[in-house]
Amino acid sequence: MKFSHALFYPCMAAVLVCVSGCNDKDEIKVYRVSKENPAPENPAMPGMEPMGGPMAGGAQPSLAAEPAPGIADTAPSGWVSQPPSSMRQASYLVKGDNGATADVSLVTLGGSAGGILDNVNRWLGQIGQPAISEEKLAQMVQKVSSPLGDVSVVDLEGLPTGGDAMKDGRILAGIASDGSRTFFFKMRGNAALVEAQKEAFIQWIGSVRPSEAVANPMPSAPVVSAPVQAPALEKEKPQIKWEVPKGWKSAPPSSMRYASFTVAGPGGGTADVSVSVFAGNGGGDLGNVNRWRGQAGLQPVAEGDLKSLIVPLKTKDGDVLTVDLLGPTTHIVAGWAEIDGRSWFFKITGSDAVIAGEKEKFVKFLQSVQFHP
Amino acid sequence: MLRRLLGFLSSLKLTIACLAASIILVFVGTLAQVNFGIHEVQQRYFQSLLIWWPANSQGLKIPVFPGGHLIGAVLLANLITAHIRRFKWGWNKLGIQLTHAGLIIMLAGGLFTDLFSVESFMRLANGETKNYSEDSLHVELAVIDESNQELDQVTAIPEAKLRNGGVIEHSSLPFRVVVRHFYQNSRLQMLDGKSKLEPAATQGVGSRIAVVGIPRETAENARDVVSVVIEIIPPAAPPLGTWLVSDQLGAPQTFFCAGKKWRLVMRQARYYKPYSLTLQKFTHEQYAGTEIAKNFASKVTLADTERSENRDVLIYMNHPLRYRGETYYQSGFEKGDQATVLQVVHNPSFVAPYIACIIVGAGLLIQFGWHFSGFSHRRKIAPTTT
Repeated sequence: MKFSHALFYPCMAAVLVCVSGCNDKDEIKVYRVSKENPAPENPAMPGMEPMGGPMAGGAQPSLAAEPAPGIADTAPSGWVSQPPSSMRQASYLVKGDNGATADVSLVTLGGSAGGILDNVNRWLGQIGQPAISEEKLAQMVQKVSSPLGDVSVVDLEGLPTGGDAMKDGRILAGIASDGSRTFFFKMRGNAALVEAQKEAFIQWIGSVRPSEAVANPMPSAPVVSAPVQAPALEKEKPQIKWEVPKGWKSAPPSSMRYASFTVAGPGGGTADVSVSVFAGNGGGDLGNVNRWRGQAGLQPVAEGDLKSLIVPLKTKDGDVLTVDLLGPTTHIVAGWAEIDGRSWFFKITGSDAVIAGEKEKFVKFLQSVQFHP
Repeated sequence: MLRRLLGFLSSLKLTIACLAASIILVFVGTLAQVNFGIHEVQQRYFQSLLIWWPANSQGLKIPVFPGGHLIGAVLLANLITAHIRRFKWGWNKLGIQLTHAGLIIMLAGGLFTDLFSVESFMRLANGETKNYSEDSLHVELAVIDESNQELDQVTAIPEAKLRNGGVIEHSSLPFRVVVRHFYQNSRLQMLDGKSKLEPAATQGVGSRIAVVGIPRETAENARDVVSVVIEIIPPAAPPLGTWLVSDQLGAPQTFFCAGKKWRLVMRQARYYKPYSLTLQKFTHEQYAGTEIAKNFASKVTLADTERSENRDVLIYMNHPLRYRGETYYQSGFEKGDQATVLQVVHNPSFVAPYIACIIVGAGLLIQFGWHFSGFSHRRKIAPTTT
């Protein structure tokens, strides 16, 4: 065996290593491709893209179609995920009747990103409305709690000159900041559709959260998808459906509430309807009933007396236990059910003058609940 | 001299030293992932010839340890040289020879995979057709000539070229692209009246955005936001200005030069294919009454006009699509089952580990079988003692 032959192989190995430095992945490539639909140009700030732009999609790396690194959300049913555009971390299209559409986006930027007033005035400008003052803004803003912090939500209406009423006319937008980043939540589209989707939009804001648990097959971004092995995303926000009675207006949910409604009664009185969900049994029947009794100004009851107060109610999806607690000033009707390891609580609170008229609607509301839509 | 060199290359001491260095490298590299993240560590520790230590802030770097490529290459050279120098034919040596040959194939295959394999992803929404996959880690600056009515001519400048900085010239571009600032990871910040930050660029959206460089991402499921400020300089004309390009600015920006409209877009690096895939349906089954995943499957249509292929393929777990040297694995999905994510692996040496394992297995079987046979034979003829 000649040594020169033996040396050939190590030399080949060395050459192999050297070529690692000249990988063709690092070379400029030139190629021709069919034209794509470009995304809108220069969306200078969140929400500035023209309507329809985000839906054009194509030119964007679609891998970035989801929330930013460390951010996850749960889209309400019926929202169709869209390829991202501009600085969007999440993008959805909502379709209504007769071609009505609304565009939903989540954008994250560093720093204060212009502040609330500047952004609200910019959005107003987009729908052809004049700018407002700080004082006026304070009257318009609603606060919604979310895992990312308090979100300032505004509801703006107006159609820009030449705007398409089926795709434009109203903006629901929210701004939140965690100190280093600013989050922009926005729904823009047909006014009636946006109104119908307001509750879903508020719920969606509440669902946007840091996503430590969601692994990603693509190390990036945009936590694009739950990995095949861990479809945990869908688990995090339980899905539930109901029919909202006429006259009930959705209110922003808080961190403790899954949903809220405000009910106007006779003589200017109002009632508050809340839907909450907790893991496990949520404290037990006796503890909860006595807590509500306390809120209604009633004395607690003993375990033995509890059964006589509870009335089961059939719903579309199983039984719900209910109590009707009329106190000196406050009337509470509550229903609860333990489903899939979670306890759901539905409660209407107000003066007896309002609750007496709304109890029937509340019962129908409970009967319409579907825990497994 | 040559004899001494070969003696050194084929020595057992070198083998031990390489194996010891490998152990240290894996240990240190594992610890380093805490600070640098897995991708950075892979590049710095395992896909490099030397590990460099930044001696000072002026950029002076000192090599402190051999990197994975160097250790692997030396080990490969050591194994091959020793194999050739000590090669003696004999049936009783067949097992050893096969085992070593298998190890050589495994090492060489590992090196080839490291050097030439490409992993990317293809995200397909229901009904969507794509003829390219996208790199999950690296971006590219696409400079697109839009003058043709039907086709766009794309000049894709890879991230590595942008990182190196300087002037980028190419025959397809009638201007020079000068990298003014490169941010491996960045945070974009909108400018308002009160901000003290400077706009990143003079043209496009960058004139209203500041870029703040931040440390590289270390989490496995996070990636850097690469931002670059470039200047466009036509020949014999004043510069057109600077643009901020970033993969967080998905929307392209345009400018005119040499009578043509050009589009700039920073995006995940793309790998175009001579065929396309269309997602017909993504299926996500769960065990009845639970949310436990039972099956994920993507039904895609493979269309290849060059090879007159047009067929439906079902890709599901452990049943990838292998086509034209690329393997498509079911990797993920998007919530609501509206899109599937396929991992696309191009690995020319993917068969090497299989072949190596078979050869090593056969070699060990022969070697131990030979010994066992000899032992058994000696037992038979040995005198029995009482």
